[in-house]
Amino acid sequence: MTSDKLQLKRASTSALLSLLNLTILPIIGFIALLFLYQKTESNSIDRYYAALGIKTNLWAAVALILVTGSMFLVGGYNSAWTWVYVVSYFVMVHALFILFATWTLTRSWTGQKLKLSLAK
Amino acid sequence: MKYESQGIAKMYFIAALGLFLGQIIFGIIMGMQYVVGDFLFPEIPFNVARMVHTNLLIIWLLFGFMGSAYYLVPEEAERELFSPILAKVMFWVFLGASVLTILGYLLVPYARLAEITMNDLLPTMGREFLEQPTITKIGIVIVALAFVYNIGMTILAGRKTVINVVLLTGIIGLAVFFLFAFYNPHNIVLDKYFWWFVIHLWVEGVWELIMASLLAYVLIKVTGVDREVIEKWLYIIVAMALISGLIGTGHHFFWIGTPDYWQWLGSIFSALEPIPFFMMTLFAFSVVNQRRRDHPNKAAVLWALGTAVMAFLGAGVWGFMHTLAPINYYTHGTQITAAHGHMAFYGAYVMVVLTMISYSMPIMRGKKAANETAQKLEIWAFWLMTLSMVGLTLILTAAGVMQVFLQRFSEDPLPFMVVQDELKNFYWAREITGIGFLSGLFLYLYSFFAKGKEVEFEEEQLD
Repeated sequence: MTSDKLQLKRASTSALLSLLNLTILPIIGFIALLFLYQKTESNSIDRYYAALGIKTNLWAAVALILVTGSMFLVGGYNSAWTWVYVVSYFVMVHALFILFATWTLTRSWTGQKLKLSLAK
Repeated sequence: MKYESQGIAKMYFIAALGLFLGQIIFGIIMGMQYVVGDFLFPEIPFNVARMVHTNLLIIWLLFGFMGSAYYLVPEEAERELFSPILAKVMFWVFLGASVLTILGYLLVPYARLAEITMNDLLPTMGREFLEQPTITKIGIVIVALAFVYNIGMTILAGRKTVINVVLLTGIIGLAVFFLFAFYNPHNIVLDKYFWWFVIHLWVEGVWELIMASLLAYVLIKVTGVDREVIEKWLYIIVAMALISGLIGTGHHFFWIGTPDYWQWLGSIFSALEPIPFFMMTLFAFSVVNQRRRDHPNKAAVLWALGTAVMAFLGAGVWGFMHTLAPINYYTHGTQITAAHGHMAFYGAYVMVVLTMISYSMPIMRGKKAANETAQKLEIWAFWLMTLSMVGLTLILTAAGVMQVFLQRFSEDPLPFMVVQDELKNFYWAREITGIGFLSGLFLYLYSFFAKGKEVEFEEEQLD
């Protein structure tokens, strides 16, 4: 496999691991992503996607675990309002992270960096 | 337009949009009745407003699907429609039957409507979403069969593509599963059991096939990505939709008196139901990223992407949220269901029909894309309607969680109506998002009449 192809493969694997960590393989996906990051070289497309995946999942951990945990700490486990905020917030924010990771995955398949605009 | 008979879609789309407006107006009326109980009473009682709201949704989506099929199939099959006259006659039959039925709901007490329409000869009325008089149901079957025949004959005589064959499968399924509406056993468990064969197998089964094929068609047109790539996606999406959706019906059988094994079957298979919607998002994102051209109809591209995203959120995420039996034990029949229902219908079916309209209407009006002003207004309308729907869903979700807690989870459960009173502020907020949605819809309808500078484009930007 040429180095370009290998980089592309690693880039899309990184994006996939990021998505898996957010969905059906939490923690395991992240550990695999860290291992993959070590294999990449700086200024390459695979490094870009591995780093993006790590950042995305760290932000997701903060937004989902820390913020939700804080809601329980502040509001208490037995309050209806705590559950109202936790369920609405968690479902929406988690879904947004999954959508972002999905967009990232499809960008990685093109071998280009992330772009959110519809214009070419 | 490549084929003259594609133009028949226009009348279907116009009727669909008119009925869509009616649906939203009745939604707003009903939303108001949640907080001001006697609003418009006795002229429009809550149960009637609800019936009109849900029935109009089904009718206008059927108009939208039929219009979409009449536009798409001739082009895919590379021939004129088998019988344009039949399509026109069925349009007027369906519109006449629909309008008369809605007027019947509004002007005649429901029990009297059943008497007038001789429901006792073949009783089918009185069930949620299937409230139509038996004679209307027979009309729907005739229209559906004529539609299947017309589309089927066009495809059989022309080119068979994955898109039009998947669409035809969805349409046949739509017609076949509606036949369960005529089976109305006295045993209420059996009644509910087979009632879901219509409702669930439509929206979480065969309609997904229709949706996937319409989305695939528009994406081929606006991105220029190879048909082979899109067709492969379509195979996987359709397979996953059927694998998960058919036995996934079991999530409606948890608490209606059916055997316990449905709790396992329903939970496992319906937990897989987000997969086809997720794949549609992946598919849409992927083909837009690999696109070979920037189509001048930006609004249509936005609607197509929006459909995939919102269907995933509404049908996939919000469905999964309360589909497992231990969770559904607390949440069934609460505002969480309403939240899921609203976003799923909007994301999966309303938006895919609007995607088709957005793509095809300018072409049927003799242009490749709507003018710049019209597109700008349409894009604003997209965001206004979509964000209002997201707001509405979040508010209903919050209301649902509160309802579950107060009514079912708490050690001192409160009665239903006491809890409804506690949810008043949520319902006011929901009404505001409903008005936001209606404003978006007005803007959308106005965009068809907006004048402005024509969009400039190169020929290679088009199909």
